[in-house]
Amino acid sequence: MNEKIVIVPCSGIGKTYGTVSREAAYEVIEELRPESAQLVPLSMLVLGEENARAAVAASPAITIDGCKLACATKMVQESGGTIAQDFAVLDVFRRNRKLKPQGIAELNEGGQQLAHALAEEVAAVVDKLNGKVETGDEKLRSSAPCF
Amino acid sequence: MAEFLEYTLDKFTFKVATDRFYNPEGVWAKAEGNQVTVGVSDFFQQRNGDVAFAEVKDVGTAVAANDEFATIETIKVDVELPCPVSGTIAAVNEKLELEAEVINQDPYGEGWLAVIAAANWAADQANLMTPEVYFEHMKVQAQEEAENL
Repeated sequence: MNEKIVIVPCSGIGKTYGTVSREAAYEVIEELRPESAQLVPLSMLVLGEENARAAVAASPAITIDGCKLACATKMVQESGGTIAQDFAVLDVFRRNRKLKPQGIAELNEGGQQLAHALAEEVAAVVDKLNGKVETGDEKLRSSAPCF
Repeated sequence: MAEFLEYTLDKFTFKVATDRFYNPEGVWAKAEGNQVTVGVSDFFQQRNGDVAFAEVKDVGTAVAANDEFATIETIKVDVELPCPVSGTIAAVNEKLELEAEVINQDPYGEGWLAVIAAANWAADQANLMTPEVYFEHMKVQAQEEAENL
């Protein structure tokens, strides 16, 4: 695949779960899968920025929503993109209850660990989209409908 | 009487169901005989955010009015809920275990928390707020909340 998988996190500023979504996205594109994933800011899609719209049109998107409003998912759909998988931070927290996120500008340890857990789930989806699924270690754990 | 009383503040609209009674914390009680179904108000669920986990004490547990009978963990806070009625927990909403978000989606219906076999519903009811009184109480809470943002 030539195009990098698009990741669109929540843009909620001042919201803990929004911060978790962005920290997870940063970890995927900067550390876990820098060669195969790229971040498209939700705000750019909202503004109709040409490059952002072109990116979601060219490649499947993974969205990470901070709350039930699901702005990231809705905006990718409105921009003509294809959702490969939508993550909700709340669902990831439900699967990792001991990782209670707190903080906004700076997450507490639980929030950082939750962001890491989420990043690993997103990275596993990136791998699957690229045909590089790692089998045997149950990396793809999301309960959301996939592909 | 209308099914709901509604109050809109800024972009939020809060509904108060008119067929039940309320305690000041926003826990409602709706009786059929001595079987009292309890849950949280629309204002409570909107104020506290998306519910991640909801845990109610086990069926068979005796509870007194104002004692904690359930805890709700949302994306914002952990809340201990005071029971609006005395009696014994007769049923717990099993949906809460895997679909706690039902509290946000339908707080007056599918999002009920428990059924209490009331020991003395008439006495407990006298200590609860009517929908009209709770509506005014909720409006004050909502306004205070908005001022503190």
